[in-house]
Amino acid sequence: MTNDRGTVRRAATLGAAAVLVACSSTSDSSTGPTDPLNESPLPVVATVSVPQAYGIHDMYVRDGIAFVCVWDSGVIVFDVGRGAWGGSPSKPVRVSSVVIPGGAAHNAWWFHNPATGEQRYLFVGQEGPGIIDSTSSGDIYVVDVSDLLNPRVVGSYHRDGAGTHNFWMDEDKQILYAAYYNGGVVAIDVSGTLPDTLALREISRIQPGGTQSTYVWGVHLFNGSLYASDMVSGFWQLHTANGVLSVAAGGNNVAERFTSDLWLANGYAYTGTWGRRGTTRGNALKVWALNPDGSPALVDSVITSGITTVSDVEVSASGKLLMFSTEGGGQDVGFYFYSLANPAHPTFLTRVVSSPPGIHTATFATINGRKYAFGAQDPSAARLVILDVTSLDP
Amino acid sequence: MNGPAALVLALAAWLPARAAAQVATLHWGAQAIPALTATAVVPGGETLTELRVVQPFLMLRADAFRHRLTGLATGNFEKWTMPNGELVPGAWGEGFADRRHPHTVFHELMLVVPADRFFLAAGKGFVPFGSDDPMSRPVLRYPVNHHWAQILERAVAIGGARDGPLMLEGSLFNGDEPVSPDSWPAIDRFGDSWSVRLTLSPPTTPLELQVSYAFVHSPENRAGAGPDDIKWSASARWERSPVYGLLEWARTSVSSGDLVYHSVLAEASVAMGGHRPYGRFEVTERPEDDRLADPFRTVWPPLDNSILGVTRWTVVTAGDAIELKPLGPVRLAPVAELSYAWIAKVGGGAFDPAAFYGREHGLVVTLGVRVTAGMRMTRMGRYGSTATMDEPGMHHHDE
Repeated sequence: MTNDRGTVRRAATLGAAAVLVACSSTSDSSTGPTDPLNESPLPVVATVSVPQAYGIHDMYVRDGIAFVCVWDSGVIVFDVGRGAWGGSPSKPVRVSSVVIPGGAAHNAWWFHNPATGEQRYLFVGQEGPGIIDSTSSGDIYVVDVSDLLNPRVVGSYHRDGAGTHNFWMDEDKQILYAAYYNGGVVAIDVSGTLPDTLALREISRIQPGGTQSTYVWGVHLFNGSLYASDMVSGFWQLHTANGVLSVAAGGNNVAERFTSDLWLANGYAYTGTWGRRGTTRGNALKVWALNPDGSPALVDSVITSGITTVSDVEVSASGKLLMFSTEGGGQDVGFYFYSLANPAHPTFLTRVVSSPPGIHTATFATINGRKYAFGAQDPSAARLVILDVTSLDP
Repeated sequence: MNGPAALVLALAAWLPARAAAQVATLHWGAQAIPALTATAVVPGGETLTELRVVQPFLMLRADAFRHRLTGLATGNFEKWTMPNGELVPGAWGEGFADRRHPHTVFHELMLVVPADRFFLAAGKGFVPFGSDDPMSRPVLRYPVNHHWAQILERAVAIGGARDGPLMLEGSLFNGDEPVSPDSWPAIDRFGDSWSVRLTLSPPTTPLELQVSYAFVHSPENRAGAGPDDIKWSASARWERSPVYGLLEWARTSVSSGDLVYHSVLAEASVAMGGHRPYGRFEVTERPEDDRLADPFRTVWPPLDNSILGVTRWTVVTAGDAIELKPLGPVRLAPVAELSYAWIAKVGGGAFDPAAFYGREHGLVVTLGVRVTAGMRMTRMGRYGSTATMDEPGMHHHDE
């Protein structure tokens, strides 16, 4: 019928029809697997799809309000149990949203100021492009949420040559501690009414690993020390004197993997690991005992097969339940839960597998007497996943 | 409606009407290359040897209305022959690293309206940017710079104008890359990206010079929230049988210059009897993305806009293809190809090639047979030249 030089009668409409009709489709013909959350051993009380504009990255849940950081779509405010808008964990109600300049809303902290009783400010971290262990970008934005229906950006903090990551606050002292990747850690005075630029509010900054080995992922204030997880140089204890930072102990103690998130409770610290360092996967959760002076000593490592990143770590308010989120694997990514009956050696309880590439961040919240885990599935099929974990931490 | 279903419907609509249709000529061509590749330049440093059928395709070309309308369709079957990619150290993109990703099944579906002074083209296909697709060039192994020097598998509308030796092309297209072999362009993103290409073809020489520019919105994030690419390409191409040569430079700036990647490539071939020896020299920078449990796959789209670092790949390739006497309609050309690759870290960053690969340089060996039938492959990515073009430097014994 045809050959390389042959001539045949053909309708010229063939190509036209095929091209125009085929290219008019917007869908992807690949079909996804059955949602693995259907097999969850814990009640999945809600999943909330978010705009797919790079997905959901972190959540801050407090007093029945969830601030969900959805990258270029901004911070979306949900009522998940406050009641004012009829929301609950099983039926989150969208209240409002705010887009930060430049997009890339990554993480947040809702500041409850004990000195004034105000709940006015939400600090939002922006994550711009970067090269791990070298460069980073992204600013801190101050959002006035005194009217949750109309949040608005009122200020910012910028550092040349470095970008922010996760926060911790000393609310009593009104100090915001911000991990700043290659910039180390920054302490900022956030007392009173904040100006439109926080540059003059900076108290101190520190690169715990020095200029060559600093790439801080997160910070956590515990028993008067500020602890920092550095992707390159490991787990650090920092002294803080009303925000003036100095190195106390630790560091250069996780050489084989990149360190990720951290949490401290019960006199112990738990740090995650990230990606691949050389060929070694970030599939470990490190357990550190804190000496009387607060310095960390490694006592255990929990290895999870089939993953490459432990991306977020948190201990419940009771101190009994450890949760971490995992990414980068095939069928093993999602939420992992461990008992801290022996805090030095967590014991596996259960896991909730999500769709690849996994759960990017996770956090606990207690709402109306029940305990929930909020997780960010990201970046594919981005959605907020809410589990009832009361049975694990009664 | 998905793409394949739409194509079936289009064909069904065409069949009853064919009696009334215009006279057209249809040409076809097909290719498959069983190739055995061995290399130690892989994550972990172990030696891998793999046999895959690479670059399998069926190409159709229909000319109608006395060549006033041309349809081009290329089906690519790598989805089935190499679903986990082809072992190519240095290759990257679309969620793969050190393996070349399979292309989409409906690789190209274009309508072209050629004329003396201008042309129009639309459909799914190549954006007028950069150099010809590597599949239509002599070297079997894809270069590292594929994602810097070509933009393909997009919903694209192209207009071109000629004036003597000059051709100016401009296009609108969707910035998103395919997300799987079954992927279709996100039509709602059509027009968010654009390109221009100026080509000079002096009439008395086989030399062709081009310079092109493209703005590509969020190529790695289908939803459109990723950083944008600003791309430049310049090349000089020479083709007069039996010699073919290409000298190419490309630069891509990501996210307003936060990351800038460069590439320089030179390649040549010459037909000598039944042999077609060829060579390539390439220096190309690429991003190092976080890898998944499968070390040949990356987190994609990249999380948090971050990468682990930048590496520079210097690759020298030499090979020879021997065109055997055709077996009926089938042409066979055994191919032997050697590449030596050096990997260097560029600037800061956590990625350490020596730790990841267990080496910083190594050999790649490929033995294969290029099996072809039907028409020779066109210059992929040049709709302004609708005449069927031969694969560069290939000497034809059967014509």
